[in-house]
Amino acid sequence: MMKSETLADETIGERVHQLRLASGLSVAVLPLRGFTKTYATYATHYGSIDNAFKIPNEHRAVAVPDGIAHFLEHKMFEKRDGGDVFDDFGRYGASANAYTDYTSTTFLFSTTENLSDNLEILLDFLQQPYFTDENVAKEKGIIEQEIRMYLDMPGDRLHSNLMQALYQKNPVRIDVAGSVDSIRTITPDDLYLCHRTFYHPSNMQVFVTGGVDVDRVLDQIVNNQANRQETPQAPIERIYPDEPEGVHLPRVEYEMSVAAPLLLMGYKDTTTRWSGRDLLRRELIANLMWNTLVGRSSELFSRLYQMGLINNRFQAHYSCGLTFGFSGLGGETPDPERLEAELIDGLDKMPLTQRELERQKRRELGEYVSLFQNLEELAYVYNHFAFRGTNLFDIPEVLGSIRLEDVEQFRKTHLNPKERAVSVILPKPQ
Amino acid sequence: MDTKAGFVGEMGAGGGWYCYPTRQFKTLSVQAFWTNPLKPGEASRAAILPHILRRACQKWASTVAIERELEDLYGASLRAEVGKIGDQQLLSFQFDAVHGQFLPDHPDMLELGMDLLREILYRPLIVQGSFDPTIFEQEKEMLDRQIQALINDKGQYAMHRLVANMAGDQGFGLSRLGTLEETRALDVKGLFDHFQMIRDHNPMLWFVVGDVDPDQVARVFEADPAMQVARRPLPSIPRFVSQAQGRVVVERQPIQQGKVNLGYSTEVTMRDEDYPALVMYAGILGGFPHSKLFVHVREEASLAYYAYARLDGVLGLMVIGAGIEFEDYEAAVEIIHQQVERMRQGEVTDEEMDFTLRALINDILAESDSPGQIIGRQVERVLSGGGRTGSSLIEALKAVRREDVVRVAQRVNLDTTYFLTRDAAKDPVQEGRA
Repeated sequence: MMKSETLADETIGERVHQLRLASGLSVAVLPLRGFTKTYATYATHYGSIDNAFKIPNEHRAVAVPDGIAHFLEHKMFEKRDGGDVFDDFGRYGASANAYTDYTSTTFLFSTTENLSDNLEILLDFLQQPYFTDENVAKEKGIIEQEIRMYLDMPGDRLHSNLMQALYQKNPVRIDVAGSVDSIRTITPDDLYLCHRTFYHPSNMQVFVTGGVDVDRVLDQIVNNQANRQETPQAPIERIYPDEPEGVHLPRVEYEMSVAAPLLLMGYKDTTTRWSGRDLLRRELIANLMWNTLVGRSSELFSRLYQMGLINNRFQAHYSCGLTFGFSGLGGETPDPERLEAELIDGLDKMPLTQRELERQKRRELGEYVSLFQNLEELAYVYNHFAFRGTNLFDIPEVLGSIRLEDVEQFRKTHLNPKERAVSVILPKPQ
Repeated sequence: MDTKAGFVGEMGAGGGWYCYPTRQFKTLSVQAFWTNPLKPGEASRAAILPHILRRACQKWASTVAIERELEDLYGASLRAEVGKIGDQQLLSFQFDAVHGQFLPDHPDMLELGMDLLREILYRPLIVQGSFDPTIFEQEKEMLDRQIQALINDKGQYAMHRLVANMAGDQGFGLSRLGTLEETRALDVKGLFDHFQMIRDHNPMLWFVVGDVDPDQVARVFEADPAMQVARRPLPSIPRFVSQAQGRVVVERQPIQQGKVNLGYSTEVTMRDEDYPALVMYAGILGGFPHSKLFVHVREEASLAYYAYARLDGVLGLMVIGAGIEFEDYEAAVEIIHQQVERMRQGEVTDEEMDFTLRALINDILAESDSPGQIIGRQVERVLSGGGRTGSSLIEALKAVRREDVVRVAQRVNLDTTYFLTRDAAKDPVQEGRA
């Protein structure tokens, strides 16, 4: 039995057991007492922005069609014998699924029985790709409908248009699923290439949480990987274009079938050299700033609500990865121009106070504790943190270290008019 | 107390309370409901109440004051909204917070949460004998916009229109939010009177989930005068009765994807002996990735990204939904009809029975890992007047045979087909690029 490393939070009585195997695979198990189900994810550090890279050991740079990471996610469920991996999980009573975002692809199951059978299926099927001209062509019809479904979702359009406005080069400006046109060009060879490059164990991690026996789960994963006798691959060199300063377009308007306009204002973070705890710190500072300035208890939120410019679904949030960071704030509004002007004015003027910061830190801490009962969210956060070189148990300490000056300093640099863009959706005349 | 003992509590003349003690969760959830029958002309005046009450009360006289109180309680949340079960509106108030034992100063969140909810529910801010007129006007405007914005979510909108068409004059077809006309006709004085009626006479239910002592919870409710007054009894929700079989409704909007929805009567509700067989039926037809609709509409014909069947066990109604290319309407509907017919003909394999049973058991057991789902299921059970849930439902599902599934399949009848499609007069589909 290999010895796992343990990280704990004594205040809430939870710990995670972590291992890195000879194949390069990272493994983590976080048991939760009293839970009936087990939730397991097998994630690769490969998302929609990884559309240009050098193949390890070949030094050849390639560019692949937009949306291919998501397409690959769909096709991994197809089996050589014509069957479907969903059926394998179904046979053992598990509910399986997968999702792709900018930086990762995650395969998962949730089960209340036959954990070891289901875990074995999860560990095996991602190493058995099977792509043919026929099965790739068939998937295009399905994914086209998925893309069209998103095209009718105002929130999705709003975000997508903002990303295209904020960014000039970085591939976060492209929709995760790509476009109807880009996915039509995807071939089996493209899929095999991306699979070979990014689905190697050394680019992946397994996370298991819920009502589990830690040693048994770790043993099974260790044995499964030992049988494969894989060795770590050379690092993948991902090619990201340098993002120039300034936005691509300051304003994008789009008409669709909605009742009232929507506005999303964004700020691009131009300094993206952080990773690990530093990146976590930046993300926490940014969100403390947003919640202090325009969160539910702020004077600004209250004023905008009473003016009728926003509703309860208004949000302000900062998101980041290793190569990008941006804020988005907005929602449904009857008057996008007025809301934009009020936000710009208010965000600069609102005082940041120690009392407000302490209140937002408490809120953040409560959110952290609540994670340890929401298995899906816990896995999502754990995986994202791990791919960025940090651990979710770092949150309380990093949060505690943040001072009012940090938040004030972030406001000064982040709320830069040159890095601001707005995305507006207007009702289409019926 | 790590065992899953389930709910303790009681339904009295003044309402009911149910407590689910467990050490499983880090949070404490307290949820209170008033039920209110959906009636034409009256739905908006109940729908607006949670939003007005959430804004201010006598103890915390502004929204900012309430929000600060919640954030100081380590980001506790208070959701006030209106939902719907059958032909009943649910005026819902949910407090969620981290349990004090995991927090620096160990606050007693049960007491704090119950107090906060009671202040919000019973003692609203009063200005000149009524709700604050400013808050009233703001929330009236917000409700107006919320009703208009129902068209924004095409999937939900199509489903709502299907159900509204099926209902005819039955209350369950009305929107939980009411109508624009109802909303615009609201006046503050009349609304305040209506609030007092609901507060003092409508059925009221409370649910508590978390690491709490049920005796402490019981004492709180025994000391609550609002729980001692005689209220109207819980409603009994009538089963859906099909009024116009075989109708097709088509509506148009400038959209990128068509939504086809089919509604069926099943003649079976949660209270019926055949309910477990109906649950198996709907699961085999369209509940999971191995189900007939997913396999035939999506995997084989590539017509859709999603295709599902879902039951409303309280009403005894089933809906099927899929998002499709506009011109694939006939093809998709034909496949759906074929699959429903195959179930009637008894074309159900052992594998479909086995996979569906396992998937349903997994879903039911997993409900106990989420405070929200624990409460949601209990609400449904209390309002539907019983029926099997949890391990009792699992045992009944295990006993369902193929003949039982085929028997309920005979009783499933198509009522209405609804298609949300593109405005034919408009330009060809755009790609939505800026």
